[in-house]
Amino acid sequence: MSREPILSVEDLHVWFDLSGGSELHAVQGVSFDLRPGERMGLVGESGCGKTTTILAMMGLLPSSASVAGSVSLDGENIMARGEDTVSPHRWKDIAMVFQGAMNAFNPVKTIGSQIVEPMELHGTATGKAARGQTRELLELVGISGDRVNNYPHEFSGGMRQRAAIALALACEPRVLLADEPTTALDVMVQAQILELLVRLTRDLGLSMILVTHDLPVVAQVCDRAAVMYAGEIVEMGAMSTIYHDPRHPYTRMLFGATPDLLGDADVISIPGAPPRLDREIVGCPFAPRCDSAFAPCATVAPRRMETSPGHEAVCHLNDHVVAKEPA
Amino acid sequence: MEGRADYVVKRTLFALLTVFVAVTINFLLFRALPGDAVSGLRCQHCTIQFKAALRHDLGLDKSKWEQYKIYLKQLAHGNLGLSDVSHEPVRGLLWDPLKNTLLMLTLGTVFSIIFGLLTGVVAAWRRGTWVDKGSLWTSLAFYSMPTQWLGLMIVYFVADRIGLPHGGIQSPDLGILGNPSTYDYWKDRLEHMILPALTLGLVLYGEYTLIVRSAMLETLGEDYVLTARAKGLSNFAIVRKHGLRNAMLPIVTLIALSLGFIVGGAITVEYVFDYPGIGLAIVDAIDKRDYTFLQGAFLLLTISVILFNFLADLLYFKLDPRVTT
Repeated sequence: MSREPILSVEDLHVWFDLSGGSELHAVQGVSFDLRPGERMGLVGESGCGKTTTILAMMGLLPSSASVAGSVSLDGENIMARGEDTVSPHRWKDIAMVFQGAMNAFNPVKTIGSQIVEPMELHGTATGKAARGQTRELLELVGISGDRVNNYPHEFSGGMRQRAAIALALACEPRVLLADEPTTALDVMVQAQILELLVRLTRDLGLSMILVTHDLPVVAQVCDRAAVMYAGEIVEMGAMSTIYHDPRHPYTRMLFGATPDLLGDADVISIPGAPPRLDREIVGCPFAPRCDSAFAPCATVAPRRMETSPGHEAVCHLNDHVVAKEPA
Repeated sequence: MEGRADYVVKRTLFALLTVFVAVTINFLLFRALPGDAVSGLRCQHCTIQFKAALRHDLGLDKSKWEQYKIYLKQLAHGNLGLSDVSHEPVRGLLWDPLKNTLLMLTLGTVFSIIFGLLTGVVAAWRRGTWVDKGSLWTSLAFYSMPTQWLGLMIVYFVADRIGLPHGGIQSPDLGILGNPSTYDYWKDRLEHMILPALTLGLVLYGEYTLIVRSAMLETLGEDYVLTARAKGLSNFAIVRKHGLRNAMLPIVTLIALSLGFIVGGAITVEYVFDYPGIGLAIVDAIDKRDYTFLQGAFLLLTISVILFNFLADLLYFKLDPRVTT
């Protein structure tokens, strides 16, 4: 993990204009690095800002959103001049597999033509070559190449998700952003899709950010995980470290809220609801729901601390750790 | 794919069945009215005997079932009967007004479809900007105007200023000095057509702009549009390649429905502009109790509604690969 990051997000903020003139601070200073070949999970409950984060990285947020911070691809800030600097990288370098890929395809166009589209747009392949590649991509994700001329409604949910992955690979991107790629699928298909994602990223040397609310999925697929809460990354580190030694109560409680296979441990849900993001949060945003909150939590915002190399958390419980703040 | 071929056959059969039902209802409707073409006759020699003889001549003394069979048989030959007033074949009497109406309608609807589509798409694409707001208010205003009122305003304020005729279909002085040339004839026709067509076109324009805008907005919110943006497509390419065709689905249906009704709905425009189309002919026939003519005209209107719906079904089929039933 010593190689230079391929993608680097620094101090990313997103605000949405609300109708009443107020603002919702959906992403509050997210920073992380993604290294070549790495699979990182971005976990958190609904509304914590994980999807907003990756949409912001692609410059795909609606015009009601304002974005600050930087997203660097190979050291070049692709957000520097908005649309002009992002759009050449879309799909060519960074591609996405969308949440609910059921509707990611235009219903009135064939699957094939929609996979060919970005190839011709970015000039990676045209005409016959593009159609040939499309067949290969479909075969790669386990769909017969003869089905290029099918329409989306002729595919099952699992197949559409596979096709969405094939679509993401159309321009041979280096980074894959997968937003809840398995949410709408049944468990069997879900396992197959995850396996496919792991195999493809490994074989093609892709880096991937997997956005999900499902911690076990991340544990199964990713090398590293970042846990988001209320628009912030509250804990980040290698998957095994986070699993065995969570340094933020939210992470620990998330694991506790996951049913285990044998069913001998009780599933403990986290009480309460996340804070509203349209007003200033005082202290630690998780404090009201935390089982370990103590004196400073309600008033003082915790700092980001590196508890061990490559493992950081934002929690007062780590205040005793005499460690440097990550740069 | 077999289901797709079935679709066309099914739709065709359904349209034909609908026509048949419409024909029957049309027949019943006029027979359900109290009295008939003879009962309204008032004259010195209109004795009961005379009326009975007339009824016999017209076949009105036969049973309704018998009359229905005769009606269907005549209809199959394209015979719509003789006018109760002029005693000329209704088919011939319908032809001229129909031609006039269709020409005027085509002008008006082509105008409204082209501009409605353009404005609607641009408004949706530039949502929230002054272009959007401006076109939204304009179209809402036109849509809410009663057609006849807009027609009157145009006659009153616009016609003279731009030197177009207030009404009628032909200048009274045309052809006074010998036969007009084909060019002069059609130029004169067109001049008489423009204002009624514009009136109709503006109201429809309002309606279509609103429909197109909302359909387009809905489409632009779909997931596949986000996919298209992520692929790197420009906004224009997204609207053109992914937006339009999907947005066209509801638009086609609504336009077809409104076109079907408009053939009859042009009555008010034709009345205001004294334009001798189907609408005016119907008003005239009602005044004169020309039931046979009305029956033929109504049949024509019904068939136009069914025809436009059928066309919409076919177009829908062409646009949307999911359509199979």
